[in-house]
Amino acid sequence: MSGRAVAVVGGVTPRWGVRSATWSELAQEVGAALFRAVPGLRSEDVDSLFVGAAEPERFAFQSHVAPLVAEQMGLRPHRIVQRTELACASGQSAIRSAYAAIAAGLSDVAVAVGVEKMNLPSMAEANTAMACVMDRPWDGPAGATAPPFFAMVAQRHMLEYGTTEEQLAAVSEKNHRFANTNPSAQFYEKSFPRDKLLRLPLIAPPLRLGDCASMTDGAAAVVLAGEEHVRRFTDTPAWVRGSGQYSDFHNLANAGSLTDWVGLKQAVRQALGQAKISIGDVDVAEVHDCFTISEIIEYESLGLCPAGEGGRFAADGRGDVGGDLLVNPRGGLLGCGHPLGATGIGQAVEVYQQFAGRVPPARQSPDPEWALVHNLSGSANVHSVMVYQGGGAA
Amino acid sequence: MSERPRRRRPQSRLIPPSPSPPPEAAPEPPKNIPERKPTNSRPFLLDFFPLESEKETRLSRFYDRLRTGRLSTTRCPKDDLLHWPPRTACPRCHTEELEWVDLPEQGRLYAFSAVLAGAPLGMESEVPFSVGLVDLDGVPLRLFGRIEGKPWTELTIGLTVRVEPFEVGDGRVFYRFRVAD
Repeated sequence: MSGRAVAVVGGVTPRWGVRSATWSELAQEVGAALFRAVPGLRSEDVDSLFVGAAEPERFAFQSHVAPLVAEQMGLRPHRIVQRTELACASGQSAIRSAYAAIAAGLSDVAVAVGVEKMNLPSMAEANTAMACVMDRPWDGPAGATAPPFFAMVAQRHMLEYGTTEEQLAAVSEKNHRFANTNPSAQFYEKSFPRDKLLRLPLIAPPLRLGDCASMTDGAAAVVLAGEEHVRRFTDTPAWVRGSGQYSDFHNLANAGSLTDWVGLKQAVRQALGQAKISIGDVDVAEVHDCFTISEIIEYESLGLCPAGEGGRFAADGRGDVGGDLLVNPRGGLLGCGHPLGATGIGQAVEVYQQFAGRVPPARQSPDPEWALVHNLSGSANVHSVMVYQGGGAA
Repeated sequence: MSERPRRRRPQSRLIPPSPSPPPEAAPEPPKNIPERKPTNSRPFLLDFFPLESEKETRLSRFYDRLRTGRLSTTRCPKDDLLHWPPRTACPRCHTEELEWVDLPEQGRLYAFSAVLAGAPLGMESEVPFSVGLVDLDGVPLRLFGRIEGKPWTELTIGLTVRVEPFEVGDGRVFYRFRVAD
């Protein structure tokens, strides 16, 4: 990577779930939590603010959220202040934008924050917001939302490779189990054994309730700093070493194969290539399990197993503690919930804490050096990947 | 607008497909399309059905043809490229000189699911409804849409479905698929 080295130097994820709090209050809460979590952080240190928010217009009837969040968090950004929107990957977009700004020398210390308030008095309104992510005038009138789309992905994967409901449930069981180590998770202290998961109601067949990430209220924030500022904040920085994205299609007609995620392969190749590592070097991965089938295809697209073997990879616990690669120790989107703009930030907080050795032992990767974070957005039509390195110097 | 705003969509009416749509060789300027008032009866930002008139979209011919029972799209003659959705500029060569072509009326189900919960506003009363991706016969297009005619439990991959234009209820039209007899 060229340019100045950039690291995540701290972060925080307050409680996610069905929160008795407004959109703005979630922003204010994460601000207060961030200043407690990052000792030495002062408001005047933060020259730039990047706000990942997918649909505040729909969920909170609110635009122009970057200055709103600045005010709520007690920040006066004086170099760059903006919102980033990439649906389910809006949070990672905020981090990528902060990284790019710092690497380019336009910012020294930036906050990337994600906020989403998805539980509304009328969930049909919230579902309408979710439907706007698709190609609204063409796919929207048919009722296209994420669950039926990913259900078709699962159906094709089952047809083409023999993937089973039990294998889907294995992903959900793992991520919900990890969420029980994470007090900020929506499903903290909620038990989802496999036999229970297989009895939950169908949402979009073959996907059941436990196969789908929830509608979640939540926020998360990280601080990023240029190399010469890093040590003011932490001894355990998470250095950004790679960043890849790929936008493949938008209208569902142009998806091509539902089970071969070409865009993810491209984004992973870019990000790992920049970091000059291979997938085998990665110690911990936070991937976008918006649905159980997503994590299964992500195993394949990341190169952890051949095409079609993701279901078996899940059932054999190869993404679990003691497996090939620790995947979604935070609890994933399935266990933590999926407050769209906050998800990518929450994943980066987990990476920072994994490197710092500060997560509960039940989900701690032993002495990790490399971490990979993945978000998809929409109908898996865009993939965003970042690679982090712990320990070492800039 | 003389129509009263309506929150709920009235019963849709079927439009029978015209028996033999004439082949259309070259693009023609639209002829005698009656000028219409904006056709939406719901607040635009709560309405999934698009605005369809010549005043509102450069693709009004899609809806005009659909109103006569023909599902169509644009094709780039230069690239021999069939588009979906219909476009005003070719994504490959960026020409805006495109032609309209009719699409096959039949296809096969490539994948499907059903919405059993979590429907958007205005669709709650339609739950459960089925959706699917349909490989149209003889053209390289796989269209997404509602699948009518059988409950989702009786759908199978490979099932033959027909294109079915329907009236939204306020003068606008859209398309869906119905399991063939």
